[in-house]
This record gives sequence, structure tokens and C-alpha cells, in this order.
Amino acid sequence: MKRREFVKMIPLTALVPASGALLSIAGCSESATPDKATQAGKAAAPAASVGGSEGGTVPDFAADMLTSDMNGLGPDGKPTGQSATFTGASKANATAEEAAKHQMKLTAEEQAILDGKKGPEMAKLMKIQVVFGNTFGAEKLVDLGGSPHSNLYPGAPYLGSMIKMLDECAKAGLKSYAPYTVNPRPYDAYKVQNNEKEMQIIYEGYPLQMDLDWVHARLGAPELTKRSCACYVKEVGNAPEPGTYVAWAESSAVNYGNSVLGIRTNRNGAGIDLICALTAKAPFFGLMTDEGRQAKWLVDVKTSKTPDWGVLGTAVGRKVVEDVPLYTGIAKYFEGGEVTEDNLHLLKAMGSASAASGSVGLYHVEGVTPEGKSKGRKLLVEGYQTYVYDDAEEQKIIKTFGNLWPEKDGDPTAAFIGCPHNTYHEMKKWGKLVTEGLDKAGKEKTAIPVYMFCADVVRSRLIEEESELAGKMLRSGMVATPMCGVTWAGTKGFSDRNRGVTNSAKTRNYSTIRYFPDQTLVDIIVTGKMPKSA
Amino acid sequence: MAKKTFKGRPILPGKLEGEALVSKLPFNLTGSYFENMFAGNTKSAPCTDANNPDLFKKDMKGAILCTSQCVGSTMGAGALMGVSEMGVGLKAFLFSHHIDSIAAGGLIIDDVWYDRRVITIDLLGDEFLEAVNTGDPISIHEDGTVEVG
Repeated sequence: MKRREFVKMIPLTALVPASGALLSIAGCSESATPDKATQAGKAAAPAASVGGSEGGTVPDFAADMLTSDMNGLGPDGKPTGQSATFTGASKANATAEEAAKHQMKLTAEEQAILDGKKGPEMAKLMKIQVVFGNTFGAEKLVDLGGSPHSNLYPGAPYLGSMIKMLDECAKAGLKSYAPYTVNPRPYDAYKVQNNEKEMQIIYEGYPLQMDLDWVHARLGAPELTKRSCACYVKEVGNAPEPGTYVAWAESSAVNYGNSVLGIRTNRNGAGIDLICALTAKAPFFGLMTDEGRQAKWLVDVKTSKTPDWGVLGTAVGRKVVEDVPLYTGIAKYFEGGEVTEDNLHLLKAMGSASAASGSVGLYHVEGVTPEGKSKGRKLLVEGYQTYVYDDAEEQKIIKTFGNLWPEKDGDPTAAFIGCPHNTYHEMKKWGKLVTEGLDKAGKEKTAIPVYMFCADVVRSRLIEEESELAGKMLRSGMVATPMCGVTWAGTKGFSDRNRGVTNSAKTRNYSTIRYFPDQTLVDIIVTGKMPKSA
Repeated sequence: MAKKTFKGRPILPGKLEGEALVSKLPFNLTGSYFENMFAGNTKSAPCTDANNPDLFKKDMKGAILCTSQCVGSTMGAGALMGVSEMGVGLKAFLFSHHIDSIAAGGLIIDDVWYDRRVITIDLLGDEFLEAVNTGDPISIHEDGTVEVG
């Protein structure tokens, strides 16, 4: 295969974690289009290079690519002036003079490690943390508890330097302070990419996958059956106690962990998460602090019916970007104010949407989440802003969800359920919804494939406890897979080959896949046709 | 043009003179380096972010890049380390705003682990980005002072 042909097939989302800021595909976001960007900036750049490029033609797919939903542009394509650090800690008012003075305080032991007491690799890791911590105004390093979660999941070539660093750590005998969880792998060669074309994409696009998996195993994450972005579900079991300091990466996990579990982590990027895991320490700032967990927004939900959780999250992410919101008006949807195995998916959907459309790393829900219960409106900072989310606002947001399929009037070709990964409850719920829908229609098979994304251990539980349903799901055309769905959705050419539908506002945010309410999706899955209202 | 002086915070200090390459829009780390990351180009670093009219197609190899902050995938740190390893990374990165975690992670890890330094200064202020234009002569000093013009 010629290099050029290969490049056209590269999975864009080899870059894309199931986390915060992502690359997206042409026209998939309302945040910016090339035209808008041109309007926002100055005149379009001349083709001539400043430094005299030695060539290399810009790949075709670059012209089709939007940058990110967090590209600093508003819906009008103009810069918002937002100064997000993507850590969850706004530094909008920072000054160079004050910031330059800042020096973290180290303990004698930490200083000794920095000086090489535990070897050159550990000294370097400590130095990275000190420089990084000073950069973001950390007071000190704190000891970590619970278990880490890493979003470093694709074995793409450009991550070679990062993987090499971790390999050197493993060779030096370093290990995470506790066994850790990792985001799902970017493909499933057994049940999804099980054809020549897709195999070529994954094997050429992720040549370092084995290296990455191997280094994770040596550093403390051997269990592929627990690979999941929803690391906090019971079956995966990474749910530290409230108040535990951790250093997680993966925007949706950080968002859920901080908010619903009550753990304390900043939004870490790939690399920093594992460096913290290896030193068992993290710089203390931002969302780890009491001050950083205060809410700058009150989100007053006043919908006449149950809100669409994905739409609500999308709206809030766009509104607050990086700030912490306190939701009110939704406690009634959580019986007794309790988050359970059967309802946590509502907050998962809402939170992950806000982490994708903005970079929300923490939210509170009055009367439901740990701090929302214990502190309530005392969480609000002086001068907080209010955002009212009502029926009209919900409709306004839904109207921004365009039809981005290249063939707009075509029939759907596949359903993508579960981003972040499905919980056990969701697997059962969707199994029943779809199979009962088929029974009602007198059909045995779904009209389109239905991909159910979940950790392998969640699928195993379904087989164990609901074997009849699991068998029926399998026979009907529902495929349970442990891979990352949104990564697949970003694969080059995906939108040419697939007209997807989903229940995930996060997936919608990063792909051409269209978002629909559950019952509408069931109808689509059963009939293979779009409803007239869509 | 009259020389203008700005004082920022030197995160990874250094001294350098050269020409500015300016992105008035936030800089998308991963979106800008596709040709290096995937097309096998190890000689130059043409910006592949079609949404960035200031930089699209311009060679960023060895540039003194001036922008507000970085955006894009949280894997962006890996992209910065990747182009650095190829020898087509930036020489200096100057931010008008507070540096973001995406850029900070990659630049700091690369500096400490691999001893590959990209001089990094942030908090130069909005006036800096308003004043500086591509091609302007620029002097960077160890203490975070940046002279334009």
C-alpha cells in the first residue's frame, strides 16, 4: 500500500481519547467551521511558509477536519476570550509577576527523591511534577490514594516518545502505587474490525498497541477485561472513597469521579496521570482544593418533564466551559437523593456531555452528589451566575444538533449505544427495549447492527445473570464490545461508510453520528428507517 | 517598527532571537501536526489545521510560536513530544494567556525526561498577541522578557 493511500485511511481518533478535547470530523460541531474560523481570524494564510516548508502536502483529511469543540471559538466562530487551562482550575486572573514567584513546598522526603534518592527515573518524574505543579500554582504535592485511571489507550505512532518514557520506567522497576484502570482499547478485532478493510486501518494506525498494552501491564494495569472509560462501575471497581486524592485522566471519568464519587482529581492529560501514579503523588491545586470545588454557576433546571440528560450536559458545557456548576431542580429524578447502579447512567450521560462540549471536570447536584448534599448552596461563590434550563432552552440546544451525514436522507446503518461505556443496568435496559421492540414488530433481528459498548466484565455479568436476555440480544444483532466507540466513530472514512445513530451526546459531539432519545432509537433499530420527525 | 517589551513568566526559560510565527487563534496541538504524526514528514512541520488561517500550511519547524493557548485532544502532549523527537518541534512557545495543561504536560515532560527544551513563556498578556505579527523580529530573555520589533 502506498503511504499516501494509507494516510487517507488513518483513524483520526488515533488521537482521540474518550476524554475532553478531541478532534472531530467535518461539520460535526457547531463550534466552528473553516469558514467561521476564517471570519474570526484575519485574512486566510498564504500558502507560502514562513520557514520554507520542505514540502509534504497537507493530507486530504486535514481539510475536512474541525479542530475541537474546545478551540476557543464561540458558536459564531469568534474567539470567546476563554482562558481555560483544561485542568478544571481557571487561571483567568493570573499575572506573570505573581505566577513566576510561586514555588511549591516539598517535604524532606520529596526533596530527597528529587535529588536522586530513589534513582534517576524517579528523580525525573518528581521534577516533572514540581515544574508542572509550580506552573499551575500548586501549594504542595499530596499523597494519592484509591487507584489511578489512565486515558493513554491508543497505540498510535505519535505517542512513541510517551510510551518509550513509560517503558524506561518499567525497565527501572517502577510501578503504579496501586493497580490501575485504563480506557478501552481503540478497536475490537473479534467483533467489530473483523474485516480486511477495518483490520488494515487498525493494524497500520495503531502499530504501538502491543507496546502500550505491555507497558501498562508492567506498570500495574494488566487486566484487559476491565478496560473501560466508566472505570467506576461496580464490575470494574475503581471507585475510591469520597475525599480521596487521585490523579485521573479521561474527561468523563474525572467528571463522574469528582462529582458523584466525591474524589478529588484535576483533569489530567495523558502522561501526567501515569507520572502521578508512579510517584504516588500529585500537585495540589484546582479541583483538588476546597476553593477550586466551589461553584461559579447555578444551573436551574425547570423543564416540565425529565430533562434529556445528554442535551442538558451539552448545554451546560457550552455555557460554563471550565467552571464548576451546581445543578438544582433534578434531585427529584434520584429517589431519596441516592445515586444507585440503576440511575448512575443519568449523571454519566449528563456529565460526560458537559466534559465534551466544554471542559467541566466537576459539577454538584443539590441534594444528590456528596458535596451537593453536605454543602448545598453554600458551594456557590459570591457573585455566581445563573443559567436557567427550561423546555425552550432544551429545544434550542437540540436544534443545533445538525444532520451531518454526507447522505442526509439515507437510511441509518448502525446504532452506537454507550459512550461512556454502558453500565450493567443500561445493558439490561437496552436489551429489553430492543428485543421487546422486535417482538412487538414480529421480527427476530434488528434492521441495523447495534453496538453495545461496555467493559468485558460487564458483558460477563450480563451473561451470568441474564443469560436468556443476553442470548436473545446476540441473536437479534446486538454486539457487546469492550472497545471505545467514539474512537471508531472518528475513523477516517467512517462517515462515508456509516450513517450512525446514538444515545450519547458525547459521541454526537465528536462525530457525525446523530443523537436521538431512547424510544426513537429503538424504533430506528427495529425498522431501519428514520422517523419522519427526525 | 518601534520595539515593544512584554514581561511573562518563564516556565522553561532560555534566550533566543528570531522571527515570530503568530496564531491569533488558540493553537490546536494535535490538529496542527498531522503531517508529522501520520504522513511521515520528518523534515518540516507544515501546519495541518485547516481551521487556523494564521498558520495553515506554514512551516512551524524551529519557530517561535506566539499564541494565546493550546486546545485540542488531551493526547496533545504526546504530539509535542513526537515532533520534538523528529527534530521539527518549536524553538520557543510564547503564550499571551496562562498555559494550558495540554501544552504544559508535553513541554515539561519532554524537557525533563529527554532534555529537549522548547523555551516556554506564558502570561505575556493580550497586548502581546495584539502587537506581534508573523515575521516580526523577536528577542526572548531568560527572565521572561520578550521584545518585539
